[in-house]
Amino acid sequence: MAPFELVVPSSVEEAMAALRTAGPGEASVLAGGTDLLNDLDDHRTNPRRVISLRRLPWRTLDWTGNQLTVGSTLPLRALEQDPEVAQRFPGLAQAVQAVGSVALRHRATLGGNVVRSAPASDLIPVLLSLDAELDLVGPRGDRRVLVDRFLRSSRQVDLAPGELVRSIRFPEARPSAYFWQRVRPANDISQVAVALAFSPADHAWRVAVGGVPPRPLLLPEPARVLGTGAPGPEAVRRAARLAGEQAPFVTDRRASEEYRRRAVSALLVRAVDSVLQAPEFPG
Amino acid sequence: MTRPPPRLIVNGRPFDLPGLPDDERLLDTLRWRLGMKGTKEGCRTGGCGACTVLVDGESTLSCLTLAKEVDGRSVTTIEAGPEDAVVARIRSAFAAAGALQCGYCTPGFVMSLAGMIRERGGVASRAELLEALGGNLCRCTGYASIVRAVDRLVPGGP
Ligand code: FES
Ligand code: FES
Repeated sequence: MAPFELVVPSSVEEAMAALRTAGPGEASVLAGGTDLLNDLDDHRTNPRRVISLRRLPWRTLDWTGNQLTVGSTLPLRALEQDPEVAQRFPGLAQAVQAVGSVALRHRATLGGNVVRSAPASDLIPVLLSLDAELDLVGPRGDRRVLVDRFLRSSRQVDLAPGELVRSIRFPEARPSAYFWQRVRPANDISQVAVALAFSPADHAWRVAVGGVPPRPLLLPEPARVLGTGAPGPEAVRRAARLAGEQAPFVTDRRASEEYRRRAVSALLVRAVDSVLQAPEFPG
Repeated sequence: MTRPPPRLIVNGRPFDLPGLPDDERLLDTLRWRLGMKGTKEGCRTGGCGACTVLVDGESTLSCLTLAKEVDGRSVTTIEAGPEDAVVARIRSAFAAAGALQCGYCTPGFVMSLAGMIRERGGVASRAELLEALGGNLCRCTGYASIVRAVDRLVPGGP
Protein backbone atom coordinates (compact mmCIF):
# COMPACT_ATOMS: atom_id res chain seq x y z
CA MET A 1 0.00 0.00 0.00
CA ALA A 2 1.38 3.42 -0.88
CA PRO A 3 1.59 5.62 2.20
CA PHE A 4 -1.27 7.97 2.74
CA GLU A 5 -2.49 10.21 5.47
CA LEU A 6 -5.62 9.00 7.29
CA VAL A 7 -8.00 11.76 8.32
CA VAL A 8 -10.93 11.02 10.62
CA PRO A 9 -13.21 14.06 10.70
CA SER A 10 -15.87 14.26 13.38
CA SER A 11 -18.26 16.58 11.57
CA VAL A 12 -19.62 16.88 8.06
CA GLU A 13 -18.01 20.31 7.69
CA GLU A 14 -14.61 18.91 8.63
CA ALA A 15 -15.08 16.02 6.23
CA MET A 16 -15.91 18.36 3.36
CA ALA A 17 -12.96 20.58 4.23
CA ALA A 18 -10.65 17.54 4.27
CA LEU A 19 -11.92 16.62 0.80
CA ARG A 20 -11.57 20.15 -0.52
CA THR A 21 -8.05 20.76 0.75
CA ALA A 22 -6.73 17.44 -0.55
CA GLY A 23 -6.92 18.68 -4.10
CA PRO A 24 -8.66 17.05 -7.04
CA GLY A 25 -8.22 13.29 -7.23
CA GLU A 26 -5.94 13.21 -4.18
CA ALA A 27 -8.44 11.91 -1.62
CA SER A 28 -10.30 8.63 -1.20
CA VAL A 29 -13.28 8.27 1.08
CA LEU A 30 -13.31 5.29 3.45
CA ALA A 31 -16.65 3.97 4.71
CA GLY A 32 -16.27 0.29 5.63
CA GLY A 33 -13.11 -0.14 3.59
CA THR A 34 -13.91 -3.67 2.44
CA ASP A 35 -13.62 -2.63 -1.22
CA LEU A 36 -11.36 0.43 -1.03
CA LEU A 37 -8.54 -1.34 0.82
CA ASN A 38 -8.19 -3.85 -2.01
CA ASP A 39 -7.77 -0.99 -4.47
CA LEU A 40 -5.19 0.66 -2.27
CA ASP A 41 -3.20 -2.56 -2.00
CA ASP A 42 -3.28 -3.11 -5.75
CA HIS A 43 -2.42 0.54 -6.49
CA ARG A 44 -5.58 0.98 -8.52
CA THR A 45 -6.07 4.05 -6.34
CA ASN A 46 -3.15 6.03 -4.94
CA PRO A 47 -4.61 8.82 -2.81
CA ARG A 48 -2.47 11.10 -0.70
CA ARG A 49 -5.26 11.30 1.82
CA VAL A 50 -7.88 8.81 2.98
CA ILE A 51 -10.87 10.30 4.74
CA SER A 52 -12.68 7.96 7.11
CA LEU A 53 -16.36 8.59 7.70
CA ARG A 54 -16.53 6.49 10.84
CA ARG A 55 -17.04 9.41 13.24
CA LEU A 56 -19.83 11.03 11.26
CA PRO A 57 -23.31 10.58 12.76
CA TRP A 58 -24.50 8.60 9.77
CA ARG A 59 -24.95 5.10 11.23
CA THR A 60 -28.66 5.60 11.34
CA LEU A 61 -31.89 3.85 10.43
CA ASP A 62 -35.00 6.03 10.40
CA TRP A 63 -38.60 5.31 9.54
CA THR A 64 -41.09 7.97 8.53
CA GLY A 65 -44.29 6.05 8.09
CA ASN A 66 -43.67 3.91 5.07
CA GLN A 67 -40.33 5.47 4.20
CA LEU A 68 -36.96 4.19 5.28
CA THR A 69 -33.78 6.26 5.42
CA VAL A 70 -30.52 4.40 5.95
CA GLY A 71 -27.43 6.36 6.95
CA SER A 72 -24.65 5.75 4.47
CA THR A 73 -22.19 4.35 7.04
CA LEU A 74 -24.54 2.01 8.88
CA PRO A 75 -22.88 -1.43 8.77
CA LEU A 76 -24.78 -3.87 6.58
CA ARG A 77 -25.02 -6.32 9.45
CA ALA A 78 -27.12 -3.82 11.43
CA LEU A 79 -29.40 -3.32 8.45
CA GLU A 80 -30.05 -7.03 7.92
CA GLN A 81 -30.74 -7.55 11.60
CA ASP A 82 -33.47 -4.98 11.85
CA PRO A 83 -36.72 -7.00 12.00
CA GLU A 84 -38.76 -4.22 10.44
CA VAL A 85 -36.44 -3.97 7.44
CA ALA A 86 -36.73 -7.72 6.93
CA GLN A 87 -40.51 -7.52 7.09
CA ARG A 88 -41.18 -4.39 5.07
CA PHE A 89 -38.26 -4.56 2.62
CA PRO A 90 -37.61 -8.31 2.32
CA GLY A 91 -35.70 -7.89 -0.95
CA LEU A 92 -33.30 -5.48 0.72
CA ALA A 93 -32.67 -7.81 3.65
CA GLN A 94 -32.09 -10.75 1.27
CA ALA A 95 -29.66 -8.75 -0.85
CA VAL A 96 -27.69 -7.58 2.18
CA GLN A 97 -27.35 -11.19 3.31
CA ALA A 98 -25.91 -12.03 -0.10
CA VAL A 99 -22.96 -9.68 0.45
CA GLY A 100 -19.68 -11.30 1.49
CA SER A 101 -19.74 -12.91 4.91
CA VAL A 102 -20.97 -11.93 8.37
CA ALA A 103 -17.53 -10.57 9.27
CA LEU A 104 -17.38 -8.52 6.09
CA ARG A 105 -20.87 -7.14 6.71
CA HIS A 106 -19.81 -5.92 10.14
CA ARG A 107 -17.80 -3.27 8.28
CA ALA A 108 -19.27 -2.94 4.78
CA THR A 109 -21.86 -0.21 4.30
CA LEU A 110 -24.72 0.57 1.94
CA GLY A 111 -23.24 3.99 1.07
CA GLY A 112 -19.88 2.46 0.28
CA ASN A 113 -21.46 -0.18 -1.93
CA VAL A 114 -23.31 2.41 -4.02
CA VAL A 115 -20.45 4.86 -4.36
CA ARG A 116 -17.90 2.15 -5.16
CA SER A 117 -20.49 0.81 -7.61
CA ALA A 118 -18.98 -2.56 -8.45
CA PRO A 119 -20.65 -3.96 -11.58
CA ALA A 120 -21.63 -7.16 -9.73
CA SER A 121 -22.96 -5.39 -6.62
CA ASP A 122 -25.68 -7.45 -4.92
CA LEU A 123 -27.25 -4.33 -3.44
CA ILE A 124 -27.67 -2.10 -6.46
CA PRO A 125 -30.33 -4.23 -8.21
CA VAL A 126 -32.50 -4.04 -5.10
CA LEU A 127 -31.97 -0.31 -4.74
CA LEU A 128 -33.16 0.07 -8.33
CA SER A 129 -36.25 -2.06 -7.74
CA LEU A 130 -37.15 0.03 -4.70
CA ASP A 131 -36.60 3.39 -6.50
CA ALA A 132 -34.03 4.28 -3.85
CA GLU A 133 -32.65 7.81 -3.76
CA LEU A 134 -29.42 9.19 -2.35
CA ASP A 135 -29.13 12.28 -0.21
CA LEU A 136 -25.84 13.97 -0.96
CA VAL A 137 -24.04 16.75 0.84
CA GLY A 138 -21.49 18.85 -0.97
CA PRO A 139 -19.81 22.21 -1.39
CA ARG A 140 -22.67 23.42 -3.58
CA GLY A 141 -25.34 22.33 -1.13
CA ASP A 142 -27.45 19.25 -0.65
CA ARG A 143 -29.15 17.34 -3.42
CA ARG A 144 -31.20 14.19 -3.89
CA VAL A 145 -30.68 11.83 -6.80
CA LEU A 146 -32.29 8.57 -7.88
CA VAL A 147 -29.82 5.67 -7.66
CA ASP A 148 -30.67 4.81 -11.28
CA ARG A 149 -29.39 8.26 -12.35
CA PHE A 150 -26.46 8.26 -9.96
CA LEU A 151 -24.95 5.16 -11.56
CA ARG A 152 -23.19 5.92 -14.79
CA SER A 153 -21.17 2.86 -15.61
CA SER A 154 -19.04 0.24 -13.96
CA ARG A 155 -17.46 2.02 -10.98
CA GLN A 156 -18.52 5.40 -12.29
CA VAL A 157 -21.06 7.49 -10.45
CA ASP A 158 -22.47 10.99 -10.57
CA LEU A 159 -20.60 12.29 -7.53
CA ALA A 160 -19.24 15.82 -7.89
CA PRO A 161 -15.87 16.74 -6.36
CA GLY A 162 -16.29 17.25 -2.64
CA GLU A 163 -19.64 15.47 -2.42
CA LEU A 164 -20.49 12.72 0.07
CA VAL A 165 -23.46 10.36 0.28
CA ARG A 166 -25.18 11.00 3.58
CA SER A 167 -28.06 8.55 3.34
CA ILE A 168 -30.09 6.25 1.16
CA ARG A 169 -33.81 6.84 1.09
CA PHE A 170 -36.44 4.24 0.25
CA PRO A 171 -39.64 6.08 -0.59
CA GLU A 172 -42.04 3.21 0.02
CA ALA A 173 -42.05 -0.21 1.72
CA ARG A 174 -42.52 -2.81 -1.01
CA PRO A 175 -43.14 -6.53 -1.17
CA SER A 176 -39.86 -7.54 -2.77
CA ALA A 177 -37.35 -10.32 -3.30
CA TYR A 178 -33.73 -10.81 -4.35
CA PHE A 179 -32.58 -14.05 -5.98
CA TRP A 180 -29.04 -14.76 -7.16
CA GLN A 181 -27.01 -17.49 -8.81
CA ARG A 182 -23.33 -18.05 -8.07
CA VAL A 183 -20.81 -20.80 -7.42
CA ARG A 184 -20.62 -20.51 -3.63
CA PRO A 185 -23.47 -19.25 -1.48
CA ALA A 186 -21.31 -17.00 0.70
CA ASN A 187 -18.42 -14.69 -0.11
CA ASP A 188 -18.81 -15.03 -3.84
CA ILE A 189 -19.84 -12.84 -6.73
CA SER A 190 -23.25 -13.42 -8.30
CA GLN A 191 -23.22 -14.48 -11.93
CA VAL A 192 -26.83 -13.37 -12.36
CA ALA A 193 -29.30 -11.77 -9.99
CA VAL A 194 -32.89 -10.56 -10.04
CA ALA A 195 -34.43 -7.96 -7.77
CA LEU A 196 -38.20 -7.75 -7.91
CA ALA A 197 -40.54 -5.36 -6.14
CA PHE A 198 -44.20 -4.41 -6.30
CA SER A 199 -45.15 -0.80 -5.66
CA PRO A 200 -48.46 -0.60 -3.77
CA ALA A 201 -48.69 3.13 -4.58
CA ASP A 202 -48.59 2.88 -8.36
CA HIS A 203 -49.69 -0.77 -8.67
CA ALA A 204 -46.67 -1.63 -10.76
CA TRP A 205 -43.75 -4.03 -10.67
CA ARG A 206 -40.06 -3.27 -10.91
CA VAL A 207 -37.63 -5.84 -12.29
CA ALA A 208 -33.90 -5.20 -11.99
CA VAL A 209 -31.09 -7.52 -13.01
CA GLY A 210 -27.49 -7.89 -11.89
CA GLY A 211 -24.65 -9.62 -13.68
CA VAL A 212 -25.01 -7.38 -16.75
CA PRO A 213 -22.34 -4.97 -17.90
CA PRO A 214 -21.65 -2.24 -17.22
CA ARG A 215 -23.98 -1.95 -14.20
CA PRO A 216 -27.23 -3.43 -12.82
CA LEU A 217 -30.27 -2.41 -14.81
CA LEU A 218 -34.04 -1.97 -14.58
CA LEU A 219 -35.98 -3.92 -17.22
CA PRO A 220 -39.25 -2.05 -17.88
CA GLU A 221 -40.88 -4.54 -20.26
CA PRO A 222 -40.93 -7.65 -18.09
CA ALA A 223 -42.18 -5.41 -15.28
CA ARG A 224 -45.05 -4.19 -17.42
CA VAL A 225 -45.98 -7.70 -18.51
CA LEU A 226 -46.39 -8.66 -14.84
CA GLY A 227 -49.38 -6.28 -14.76
CA THR A 228 -50.90 -4.25 -11.96
CA GLY A 229 -51.34 -6.90 -9.30
CA ALA A 230 -50.80 -10.62 -8.87
CA PRO A 231 -49.83 -11.97 -12.30
CA GLY A 232 -51.18 -15.23 -13.70
CA PRO A 233 -48.85 -18.05 -14.76
CA GLU A 234 -48.85 -16.99 -18.40
CA ALA A 235 -47.78 -13.43 -17.55
CA VAL A 236 -45.01 -14.77 -15.32
CA ARG A 237 -43.76 -17.02 -18.12
CA ARG A 238 -43.76 -14.15 -20.59
CA ALA A 239 -42.00 -11.79 -18.20
CA ALA A 240 -39.38 -14.45 -17.50
CA ARG A 241 -38.80 -15.02 -21.20
CA LEU A 242 -38.53 -11.28 -21.88
CA ALA A 243 -36.02 -10.84 -19.06
CA GLY A 244 -33.86 -13.57 -20.62
CA GLU A 245 -34.10 -11.94 -24.04
CA GLN A 246 -33.71 -8.31 -23.09
CA ALA A 247 -31.02 -8.21 -20.42
CA PRO A 248 -27.73 -7.33 -22.15
CA PHE A 249 -25.83 -10.32 -20.79
CA VAL A 250 -22.38 -11.20 -22.08
CA THR A 251 -19.98 -14.09 -21.59
CA ASP A 252 -17.17 -13.47 -19.14
CA ARG A 253 -15.00 -15.62 -16.88
CA ARG A 254 -17.85 -16.12 -14.42
CA ALA A 255 -20.55 -17.44 -16.75
CA SER A 256 -21.64 -17.59 -20.36
CA GLU A 257 -24.23 -15.34 -21.89
CA GLU A 258 -26.47 -18.34 -22.61
CA TYR A 259 -26.28 -19.54 -19.03
CA ARG A 260 -27.17 -16.11 -17.72
CA ARG A 261 -30.17 -15.79 -20.06
CA ARG A 262 -31.59 -19.08 -18.82
CA ALA A 263 -30.78 -18.43 -15.20
CA VAL A 264 -32.38 -14.99 -15.12
CA SER A 265 -35.71 -16.43 -16.30
CA ALA A 266 -35.69 -19.08 -13.60
CA LEU A 267 -34.74 -16.56 -10.96
CA LEU A 268 -37.51 -14.20 -11.97
CA VAL A 269 -40.12 -16.96 -11.67
CA ARG A 270 -38.87 -17.76 -8.17
CA ALA A 271 -38.83 -14.10 -7.21
CA VAL A 272 -42.46 -13.64 -8.29
CA ASP A 273 -43.48 -16.71 -6.25
CA SER A 274 -41.69 -15.36 -3.23
CA VAL A 275 -43.27 -11.90 -3.44
CA LEU A 276 -46.78 -13.27 -3.98
CA GLN A 277 -46.45 -15.51 -0.93
CA ALA A 278 -45.54 -12.63 1.38
CA PRO A 279 -48.41 -11.71 3.70
CA GLU A 280 -47.77 -8.04 2.87
CA PHE A 281 -48.67 -8.51 -0.77
CA PRO A 282 -51.75 -6.33 -1.37
CA GLY A 283 -54.82 -8.22 -2.46
CA MET B 1 -1.16 19.83 21.87
CA THR B 2 0.27 16.36 21.39
CA ARG B 3 -2.17 13.61 20.72
CA PRO B 4 -1.95 10.42 22.72
CA PRO B 5 -0.64 7.55 20.60
CA PRO B 6 -3.15 5.12 19.11
CA ARG B 7 -4.08 2.37 21.50
CA LEU B 8 -5.48 -1.10 21.00
CA ILE B 9 -6.78 -3.29 23.78
CA VAL B 10 -5.86 -6.78 22.67
CA ASN B 11 -7.24 -9.67 24.70
CA GLY B 12 -7.77 -7.29 27.58
CA ARG B 13 -4.26 -5.79 27.55
CA PRO B 14 -3.72 -2.19 26.42
CA PHE B 15 -1.00 -1.52 23.84
CA ASP B 16 0.08 2.02 23.01
CA LEU B 17 1.30 2.22 19.45
CA PRO B 18 3.34 5.37 18.89
CA GLY B 19 4.37 5.74 15.28
CA LEU B 20 1.67 3.40 13.98
CA PRO B 21 1.54 4.15 10.24
CA ASP B 22 -1.78 5.43 8.90
CA ASP B 23 -1.85 2.76 6.19
CA GLU B 24 -1.12 -0.25 8.40
CA ARG B 25 -3.72 -2.99 8.55
CA LEU B 26 -4.85 -4.46 11.83
CA LEU B 27 -3.62 -7.86 10.61
CA ASP B 28 -0.05 -6.55 10.28
CA THR B 29 -0.19 -4.67 13.56
CA LEU B 30 -1.18 -7.85 15.37
CA ARG B 31 1.32 -10.11 13.66
CA TRP B 32 4.36 -7.91 13.15
CA ARG B 33 4.09 -5.08 15.64
CA LEU B 34 2.63 -7.07 18.55
CA GLY B 35 4.10 -10.43 17.57
CA MET B 36 0.78 -12.22 17.84
CA LYS B 37 1.10 -14.67 14.99
CA GLY B 38 -2.06 -16.61 15.79
CA THR B 39 -4.10 -14.45 13.43
CA LYS B 40 -3.28 -15.65 9.93
CA GLU B 41 -2.96 -14.02 6.56
CA GLY B 42 -4.49 -16.05 3.76
CA CYS B 43 -5.61 -13.87 0.88
CA ARG B 44 -5.39 -10.30 2.20
CA THR B 45 -8.47 -9.46 0.11
CA GLY B 46 -11.40 -10.51 2.29
CA GLY B 47 -11.81 -13.86 0.59
CA CYS B 48 -10.70 -16.50 3.09
CA GLY B 49 -11.51 -15.47 6.68
CA ALA B 50 -8.11 -16.61 8.05
CA CYS B 51 -7.50 -13.14 9.49
CA THR B 52 -10.80 -12.91 11.40
CA VAL B 53 -10.62 -11.28 14.85
CA LEU B 54 -13.23 -9.64 17.06
CA VAL B 55 -13.43 -5.86 17.34
CA ASP B 56 -15.62 -4.92 20.29
CA GLY B 57 -17.00 -8.44 20.05
CA GLU B 58 -17.87 -8.32 16.34
CA SER B 59 -16.14 -10.62 13.87
CA THR B 60 -13.98 -8.48 11.60
CA LEU B 61 -11.56 -9.17 8.76
CA SER B 62 -8.30 -7.73 10.05
CA CYS B 63 -6.82 -7.68 6.53
CA LEU B 64 -9.49 -5.19 5.43
CA THR B 65 -9.29 -2.98 8.51
CA LEU B 66 -6.83 -0.17 9.10
CA ALA B 67 -5.40 -0.44 12.61
CA LYS B 68 -6.04 3.26 13.22
CA GLU B 69 -9.70 2.78 12.36
CA VAL B 70 -10.07 0.69 15.52
CA ASP B 71 -8.06 3.04 17.75
CA GLY B 72 -9.24 2.67 21.34
CA ARG B 73 -11.26 -0.45 20.75
CA SER B 74 -11.04 -3.97 22.09
CA VAL B 75 -9.63 -6.65 19.84
CA THR B 76 -9.93 -10.35 20.63
CA THR B 77 -7.68 -12.85 18.89
CA ILE B 78 -7.10 -16.56 19.05
CA GLU B 79 -4.47 -15.83 21.73
CA ALA B 80 -7.26 -14.90 24.18
CA GLY B 81 -6.63 -16.57 27.52
CA PRO B 82 -8.83 -19.11 29.33
CA GLU B 83 -10.76 -16.24 30.96
CA ASP B 84 -12.43 -15.71 27.57
CA ALA B 85 -14.88 -18.54 28.11
CA VAL B 86 -16.42 -18.34 24.63
CA VAL B 87 -13.13 -18.62 22.77
CA ALA B 88 -11.91 -21.32 25.17
CA ARG B 89 -15.07 -23.35 24.62
CA ILE B 90 -14.73 -23.17 20.83
CA ARG B 91 -11.06 -24.15 20.96
CA SER B 92 -11.99 -27.24 23.00
CA ALA B 93 -14.78 -28.14 20.60
CA PHE B 94 -12.28 -28.01 17.70
CA ALA B 95 -9.83 -30.18 19.60
CA ALA B 96 -12.50 -32.68 20.62
CA ALA B 97 -13.86 -32.93 17.08
CA GLY B 98 -10.41 -33.07 15.49
CA ALA B 99 -11.53 -30.15 13.37
CA LEU B 100 -8.14 -29.17 12.02
CA GLN B 101 -5.30 -30.58 9.99
CA CYS B 102 -2.68 -27.95 9.12
CA GLY B 103 -4.52 -25.52 11.41
CA TYR B 104 -3.87 -22.44 9.29
CA CYS B 105 -7.55 -21.63 8.93
CA THR B 106 -8.49 -22.53 12.51
CA PRO B 107 -8.00 -19.17 14.24
CA GLY B 108 -10.32 -17.57 11.70
CA PHE B 109 -12.98 -20.25 12.14
CA VAL B 110 -12.79 -19.97 15.91
CA MET B 111 -13.11 -16.19 15.90
CA SER B 112 -16.01 -16.22 13.41
CA LEU B 113 -17.88 -18.59 15.71
CA ALA B 114 -16.96 -16.54 18.78
CA GLY B 115 -18.40 -13.42 17.14
CA MET B 116 -21.70 -15.13 16.44
CA ILE B 117 -21.99 -16.62 19.92
CA ARG B 118 -21.34 -13.18 21.44
CA GLU B 119 -23.82 -11.54 19.11
CA ARG B 120 -26.49 -14.07 20.12
CA GLY B 121 -25.85 -13.43 23.81
CA GLY B 122 -23.96 -16.65 24.58
CA VAL B 123 -25.91 -19.28 22.65
CA ALA B 124 -26.24 -19.49 18.87
CA SER B 125 -28.19 -21.97 16.79
CA ARG B 126 -26.55 -24.40 14.40
CA ALA B 127 -27.80 -22.38 11.41
CA GLU B 128 -26.42 -19.15 12.85
CA LEU B 129 -23.05 -20.73 13.55
CA LEU B 130 -22.83 -22.15 10.04
CA GLU B 131 -23.82 -18.77 8.61
CA ALA B 132 -20.99 -17.21 10.59
CA LEU B 133 -18.55 -19.55 8.82
CA GLY B 134 -19.69 -18.63 5.31
CA GLY B 135 -16.57 -16.55 4.70
CA ASN B 136 -14.02 -19.02 6.11
CA LEU B 137 -12.14 -21.35 3.78
CA CYS B 138 -10.34 -24.53 4.77
CA ARG B 139 -8.11 -26.34 2.29
CA CYS B 140 -7.59 -29.46 4.41
CA THR B 141 -10.52 -30.83 6.34
CA GLY B 142 -13.33 -30.90 3.80
CA TYR B 143 -15.33 -29.12 6.52
CA ALA B 144 -17.07 -32.22 7.92
CA SER B 145 -14.98 -32.21 11.09
CA ILE B 146 -15.51 -28.46 11.46
CA VAL B 147 -19.26 -28.99 11.29
CA ARG B 148 -18.88 -31.64 14.00
CA ALA B 149 -17.11 -29.04 16.14
CA VAL B 150 -20.03 -26.67 15.49
CA ASP B 151 -22.43 -29.40 16.64
CA ARG B 152 -20.60 -29.50 19.96
CA LEU B 153 -21.34 -25.80 20.43
CA VAL B 154 -25.08 -26.12 19.91
CA PRO B 155 -27.24 -26.68 22.99
CA GLY B 156 -28.11 -30.37 23.17
CA GLY B 157 -25.19 -31.25 20.88
CA PRO B 158 -22.78 -34.16 21.57
S1 FES C 1 -6.54 -12.77 4.87
FE1 FES C 1 -8.27 -11.60 5.43
S2 FES C 1 -9.88 -12.64 4.45
FE2 FES C 1 -8.14 -13.71 3.74
S1 FES D 1 -6.91 -27.20 8.52
FE1 FES D 1 -5.59 -26.65 6.89
S2 FES D 1 -6.65 -25.01 5.95
FE2 FES D 1 -8.06 -25.71 7.40
